[in-house]
Amino acid sequence: MTRMMLACSAIISTIFFPWPFTALLALASSPVEPLLPLAVGIFMDTLYYTPSMRMPPFFVIIGAIATIIAFFVRNRIRTGIIKR
Amino acid sequence: MKKTFLAKRNALLSFTSISWSGFALIIVILLFLVRFFAPNLFWQMLAPVFHGADSLATESHAFFSGFGNNAKLSLQNESLMNENMALANENQALLQKEASLEALLGSSTSGKNMAPEILAGVVARPPEIPYDTLVLAAGARAGVALGQEVFGAGDVPIGIISTVFADFSRATLFSSPGVRIAGWAGPANMPLTITGSGAGTMSATLPRSAGVAVGDTVFGPGPGMLPIGRVIRIDGDSSSPSVTLRITPALDLFSVSWVTVRGASVALLNALSQATSTLP
Repeated sequence: MTRMMLACSAIISTIFFPWPFTALLALASSPVEPLLPLAVGIFMDTLYYTPSMRMPPFFVIIGAIATIIAFFVRNRIRTGIIKR
Repeated sequence: MKKTFLAKRNALLSFTSISWSGFALIIVILLFLVRFFAPNLFWQMLAPVFHGADSLATESHAFFSGFGNNAKLSLQNESLMNENMALANENQALLQKEASLEALLGSSTSGKNMAPEILAGVVARPPEIPYDTLVLAAGARAGVALGQEVFGAGDVPIGIISTVFADFSRATLFSSPGVRIAGWAGPANMPLTITGSGAGTMSATLPRSAGVAVGDTVFGPGPGMLPIGRVIRIDGDSSSPSVTLRITPALDLFSVSWVTVRGASVALLNALSQATSTLP
């Protein structure tokens, strides 16, 4: 339930709140929901990115990097001896 | 004989961890496809949501303002009303002066007032939008075209139209990172290149000897003297021959709710084509 709330609030905040808050929420949720930064990044650039600005889609790139790091960290922790 | 099966695990990707965020990702990708293949439909679907967000922000602002000091707010209100009255009187005097000068020298030939204006509501704005752009509720059907100027209240130029859909358009603000426009500032009307710095701010580099001070108005290209911002800070090492001006827009971009769009002036188009990457 908490994970669902995190996912929903991060996506909704893309429209309702300033982007730094959304980015912070997505990054803070990434340890429990690793795909969330990527989803939020894609949604943010779907809404707001203008190709004619000739800038890279910044939030997709940052979201993808955050997702890769989150997956890597989760798997390192899981394969460690702490949880066994 | 009992066999033991060991789960094969990927070091980077574990499918057991894909849950609500995976579901969110699928929805977001579907929305991206709608946005890519039917942008107008996409914005028609989302415009009511943005209007809802606007209403919520207004209501919450009104709610939290209720906790403010009433006496202080009343004084501030009175002061603003007095200032508004003074500015209205000044404006009236300037209009009369302009009319008498026109009568003396002949009618203005700039044709500024004859240019068709399109009033457009703002669907989304910074700080929700991270790239310093505005989404406008007027598109090609309303007559909006690529490269047109966008003006805020008080005829303040704030950006140009960079994307046009059937019923919506997107304006890139002058404060958008990477956007550069020509302008001038200071008592000597020193020409400068204004660069967007993001978050609604701009900057420009000038020689120290230019004499530009904090509080000076910065003007952009276009018909007449069009104020686009004000110098709020001057950065620079005392040993350096140049200084960097930090400029805030003349209009609060974070609360702009409507704009007017009209034909791009030749001066602005020329300036932008030399300096910015916002034009196609």
